[in-house]
Amino acid sequence: MTRWLLLILIATTAQAQTPLDGATRADWPHNGGQQSAWRYSALDQVNTSNVRGLAPAWLFQTGDYADNLQATPIVVDGVMYLISARAQVFALNAATGDVIWQYKYGEPRSGTPGTHADFILNRGVAVGGGKVIFGTKDSYLVALDQKTGREAWKVAVDDPRQCGCNLGAAPLIAGDKVIIGGNGGEIAHRGYLTAFHISNGRLAWRWYVIPGPGEKGNETWKGDSWKFGGGAPWMTGSFDADLNTVYWGTGNAASDFYDGDRSGDASKYPNLYTASIVALDADTGKLKWHYQEVPDDLWDFDSAYEVILMDRVVKGQPRRILAHMNKSGLTTVLDRVTGEHLGVFNVPEMSTWIAGVTEDGKLIGRKDPKPGTVVDVCPSSVGAKSSNAMAYSPQTGYLYIPTVETCNAISSTDLPPEEGKRYMNGGHPLKVAPGHSDASHIDAWDPVTGKRIWTVPYKYLLLSSMLATAGNLVFTGDPDGYFFALDARTGEKLWKFQTGAGNRGAAISYSVNGRQYVAETTGWQQGITGGFASNLFPDQSWRNGSTLVVFALPEATK
Amino acid sequence: MNRLPKTLLLITLLAGLLPAQDLATVLKKGQAVYAATCTGYCHGESGAAGSAPRLSGRGFDQAYITGVVTRGVPGTSMPAFNSGISAADRAAVIAYVASLNGIVSPSLGAAVSSTPATAKLTGEAARGRALFYDATRSFGRCSTCHEVDGVGIPVAAPIAKIPADVAALRALATPNVLNVTVAGESMPALILSRKAQSVVFYDLTVAPPVLRTVAASDVRIGEASPWRHASAIASYKDSELSPILVWFQASRAAKN
Repeated sequence: MTRWLLLILIATTAQAQTPLDGATRADWPHNGGQQSAWRYSALDQVNTSNVRGLAPAWLFQTGDYADNLQATPIVVDGVMYLISARAQVFALNAATGDVIWQYKYGEPRSGTPGTHADFILNRGVAVGGGKVIFGTKDSYLVALDQKTGREAWKVAVDDPRQCGCNLGAAPLIAGDKVIIGGNGGEIAHRGYLTAFHISNGRLAWRWYVIPGPGEKGNETWKGDSWKFGGGAPWMTGSFDADLNTVYWGTGNAASDFYDGDRSGDASKYPNLYTASIVALDADTGKLKWHYQEVPDDLWDFDSAYEVILMDRVVKGQPRRILAHMNKSGLTTVLDRVTGEHLGVFNVPEMSTWIAGVTEDGKLIGRKDPKPGTVVDVCPSSVGAKSSNAMAYSPQTGYLYIPTVETCNAISSTDLPPEEGKRYMNGGHPLKVAPGHSDASHIDAWDPVTGKRIWTVPYKYLLLSSMLATAGNLVFTGDPDGYFFALDARTGEKLWKFQTGAGNRGAAISYSVNGRQYVAETTGWQQGITGGFASNLFPDQSWRNGSTLVVFALPEATK
Repeated sequence: MNRLPKTLLLITLLAGLLPAQDLATVLKKGQAVYAATCTGYCHGESGAAGSAPRLSGRGFDQAYITGVVTRGVPGTSMPAFNSGISAADRAAVIAYVASLNGIVSPSLGAAVSSTPATAKLTGEAARGRALFYDATRSFGRCSTCHEVDGVGIPVAAPIAKIPADVAALRALATPNVLNVTVAGESMPALILSRKAQSVVFYDLTVAPPVLRTVAASDVRIGEASPWRHASAIASYKDSELSPILVWFQASRAAKN
């Protein structure tokens, strides 16, 4: 089976409204560009006709060569805020790279070895309310004064020695609050989102992915399994200010590859609200609605990724929708006001973990891993796509999706949980999908029709985020070190530049004094998914590093 | 379930210098520790590569393995397994990885040491410990503010004096909690430092405590706050605080 495409679009009453504008302009104020996670810049000074002239304007080396530079930079009023893997934070003049202030987080408290507390990475800061806010390896949320870089407040979201978790994602600003999710999907841990008041760091609310006893949804867990059932929402969500709603994708159920303790029957024990998209009231953290993409997940198929909010005409009616890709590559379109399911399409070419999906999103013919057997499924637990984000261009109406084609042979174990310790229960050796000489492709998809518009192959694993711009360009980088631009309409490669180290981060675009810049974070990561990728291609040696490369058109030609 | 690989059985038979029973037991234990700690997102099963490098058949000697396991690899995701794991488990996993590198009779070290790692808590003390760190209470648990035996957030100073009973625990005096005013708002605060430039304190208004750094000119430090320890432990019933005190006593007795 190579592809299924089942999309039903139900027309309902149209609502008159100003369409949501998720484009960035001079600033790049949030992790996903705007809080709707488009990763799209309305700047078009750099465009398909002149992109070949793009050249480095300045570089910034963080000096923190721990492993990688993955963070999406934030730009506000000509100042760039950048965090390194070990939480050194820099405020830079976004036109020159000159340092305005810098801050270095101290040595984090050690966590339990063999857990997420080992991971050395940081995916970005959030800027809002006069603060620069980030999570740490030892599960603190820290707010710096935006003008001086001095610590304003710091709060322990959890204890890494107990939870085995950490904070790697960029926080999300939602009004006067900052919301942070955490790692811990592979740990005997109960995931949650926590919101704090930006002004003083005080707790606003906490929402547990797994409902406790007496709460609706707790009955979807066997016995006490809700206590350690995972679901950690380890990436960054979205915010619709008009609806005062926060949207977040949640992590996989734990243990990853064995469900005997928690389910054993996806219809009876779907393990809510893991592997789901949830809509929460931004003020209270109360659940408004949910949509579970993978009930009783057994393949490590998180839903923790970007939730792209957009307003589109669907069957002749303007609707407020969202598009969201599960790690399996199943991509769901929902009405973001009601949670109504509008359609689903499958992005990877090789999918064998299920036989298919119904029009309303139900999984058919699951290949469940079981102890004592080896179950070979595609995609692998590395995902059709994981933490690197797609982009959405309102100009073309397409999603730009970096897609990986790998499979894994899952062998499960049935070890019991121990709080804060690894709770994965299985091995999952990886291979490139059979019949695929190229392990990745970049695709353009129309989320409303569910059709793939174009695809461009790439030999190794693409693990960088995408950037789309109004210059009809799509930017991303590869492990070989090339940062490149494609034509957003056709996928034609228009420009590339060797940055000197593997690209595993996120590009942004912004402008200062009328000059458009495109910035890419570089430095491969030999751990986690980057390590899987490296070990798949042992003859390659993708380089670590921690350098931001900023491009612009030469002054004379712009 | 995983079965012990045949090579391990072979090694067990060949290891003449060690009691075969000990070696087989340790390697089996080491394999279990490996499966629970080293596989998953890092090293693959039986030392195959995962996201982290392959560990089998690399020609590692045991001293090298021991060094990497205990010290980690700085600048990478490989941590130092020098805490959060018992000496016996660490020695067992080192022996197991040694076996994956063809070392026929690995040194077993602490893996067969006769001294128990730590006395296992039982009964009320075990229940008390679990209640102290009880994650289902979210920020209402004791460890939101107290670190004991390296676990918990060290907001308060280490617990020096164990309250005599539950009533005393609830009524605990907190003379260090002062009323602090910032920008016209009063709050209960535990002050960590007062310098000419800035004041650093924990705002205890709501759990979890917030460590704040405020310019000295913006802070007014007042008298004792009406904040009470009883409010911080309100989620606990008397019947739950009692075993926590039993654990404190048992833990203190074990150290002395």
